[in-house]
Amino acid sequence: MIERKERKPYWRHTKWQMLASLIPFLIVLIVLPLYAEGLNHNKFLGFPLGYLLAAHGLFIIALVTVGGFVNRQDAIDHWHGAHEDN
Amino acid sequence: MTFTPRGRLINPRLGIFFGIFASGFISLVLLLLMFEQMGIPRHLLSPLMLAGALGAYLVIAFAGITREPIDFFAAGRRVPAVYCGLGIALSTMGATGMACVAGAYFLIGFDAIWIMSGGFAGYVVMAVLLAPFLRKFGAFTLPTYLGRRFDSLNVRIVSAALLAVPTLLVLAAEIGLGAKAVEWLLGRGQWLATAVMVLSVIGGLVFGGMRALTWSGVATGLAAILALIVPVTIVAVLLGYLPLPQLSHGPMIRGIGRSEAIAGIPIVLQTPLGLHLPFDGFQPVFKRIAEPFGAVGPVAYTLATLSVMMGVAAAPWVLPRIATTPGVYEARKALGWACVFFGAMMLTAITIAVFMRDYLMQAVGTSIAAPPDWLRTLVAGRLAEVSTRGNKIGAADIAFDRDSILMALPQAAGLPDVFASLAAIGILAAAFAAASAAALTLASMLSEDIVNGLNWQPPGASIRLTVVRVMLVVVVSFGGVIALMSNGDAFKLLLWALSLTASSAFPVLVASIWWKRVNQYGAFAGIVTGFSVAVLMILASEGGLIELSSVLSAVVAVPAGTFALISVSLLTLPPTRHSLELIRDVRVPGGEILYDREMRILRQKERRR
Repeated sequence: MIERKERKPYWRHTKWQMLASLIPFLIVLIVLPLYAEGLNHNKFLGFPLGYLLAAHGLFIIALVTVGGFVNRQDAIDHWHGAHEDN
Repeated sequence: MTFTPRGRLINPRLGIFFGIFASGFISLVLLLLMFEQMGIPRHLLSPLMLAGALGAYLVIAFAGITREPIDFFAAGRRVPAVYCGLGIALSTMGATGMACVAGAYFLIGFDAIWIMSGGFAGYVVMAVLLAPFLRKFGAFTLPTYLGRRFDSLNVRIVSAALLAVPTLLVLAAEIGLGAKAVEWLLGRGQWLATAVMVLSVIGGLVFGGMRALTWSGVATGLAAILALIVPVTIVAVLLGYLPLPQLSHGPMIRGIGRSEAIAGIPIVLQTPLGLHLPFDGFQPVFKRIAEPFGAVGPVAYTLATLSVMMGVAAAPWVLPRIATTPGVYEARKALGWACVFFGAMMLTAITIAVFMRDYLMQAVGTSIAAPPDWLRTLVAGRLAEVSTRGNKIGAADIAFDRDSILMALPQAAGLPDVFASLAAIGILAAAFAAASAAALTLASMLSEDIVNGLNWQPPGASIRLTVVRVMLVVVVSFGGVIALMSNGDAFKLLLWALSLTASSAFPVLVASIWWKRVNQYGAFAGIVTGFSVAVLMILASEGGLIELSSVLSAVVAVPAGTFALISVSLLTLPPTRHSLELIRDVRVPGGEILYDREMRILRQKERRR
């Protein structure tokens, strides 16, 4: 169980982790498709690059974001003793 | 010290059970393939396939029969992350997400990707902002959580009534699409197909609730993934691509681009806020496949992505499944798995659309007297229409049914008929999973938060379960009637549902965890404002009063709801001490599940009286 004086630092840490996970992801999610037209002139693996990045690329970025978040947040929980006891 | 080992709660033989299911499903398909080669006609094989698959889902669902509320509403809180993720991925968008997205991608190309990226972005947002905290709270429905969190029966009842609307839209859309697949398999009328769909959803849920939904959801998930991936992989190998078509269809896209240039398909330009979605029914391809922003303008693309993202993140038919995971860590992981499965399914659907587009481009330019064989098969099977003006087939002369692209590819590639039936079974599986999820959510919201909602302490287990079971029957029948009467466009219904959840639930849910100052009045105002603005926007847009597409109604409604939430919260009294204590506990993963604690305290109070 978490100690009372650990709650504030724990929540500050969690908030920063939330921002660090979401802000870069949202920026990429919004900005990347807008440049797809220009990127389509290049190719990668035979795909038009803009299409590849908007479909497969964003998917990979989402996976990396969630994976990183799960890992980091678990580490934060354990660091502050906020994890579940089992 | 309490010792609750995670390993003992989870059934260790889950992998074996679902391995048996998957191999049974594969052997059913192989058996029917052999029958087909022996000359047994399609109209006998398709019903066999339907009976086999639907029977297997229902047997698994019946095996989940229970008399415990914790099993009925939360599957006993012992669903491992992978299985939970698979269920979530399949039931978020269901058959709409497979059939309609593949069709939309086939017709408008790049401009349909926002549905996919909005979906997995929704999982990311859900995993970071909402899921772990809702799991720590452990409520069975969203309105219960909101009501308990703000300590207000008004919030509970009103949010249940308002969130029931998008859930009902999803239910009707999924029953409609599932009935379409059943109709195609059986070759009988729409009434019978809808009845089959309604009865199987009721039968699948009424005994086991969430427990049945979870485990039959895993089975339908496996079936849907196999049904999506197997035909397109075989087609890829036949056409000389690597058997990983999702990653190897790149050269094909560029080939299609070249033929499109030769065939003279125009490069259309859309206004920044314009949004043209393919409708339900037959229509020719609209634009070049890889050219962005011909049907959906760049600003509309971004806004639609964000709208779907917020809708998925707050979807009331998805979030309660978080409560089925064994812990907070697993809840986060489940969303990661959901992201994996959802992305894989969507990329496969897109690949199928690209392959189909390649077949289309081969037919363009051929003589009308001698069209390719596959086109004749599709026209005979009423999956495509050819309208002729000259003596050569142009790209605009072939119209395709938007929701049948998944079934069209195996036939176009000349695969045995069983593969087309397999695709229909996949659509049915996804529709079954999503319709069940929506139906269970709707029934538990209505019974827990409205019928039994006036009292915080739920009634005894048998009354509680009877009420929710009766509600299930009512709700699913009602959804079936709507699906039958309205004949609405399933794709639009889903997008409206996502807009409505985004505008009514998303701001409140996020604020309830990340902003301590929000109080019950703010929450109430936020939900009601967001919902009513979204409904008004949809009505105004469909009535032609405003230019903005009805799919984008969340663009105005979410800021309006957020503004109402913040201003009303700041203008009224700060939240009570009890709420603050509660939110402090919600934010920390360790410790007792809060819903269970609250119920225990209520019971103790009752006993003391």
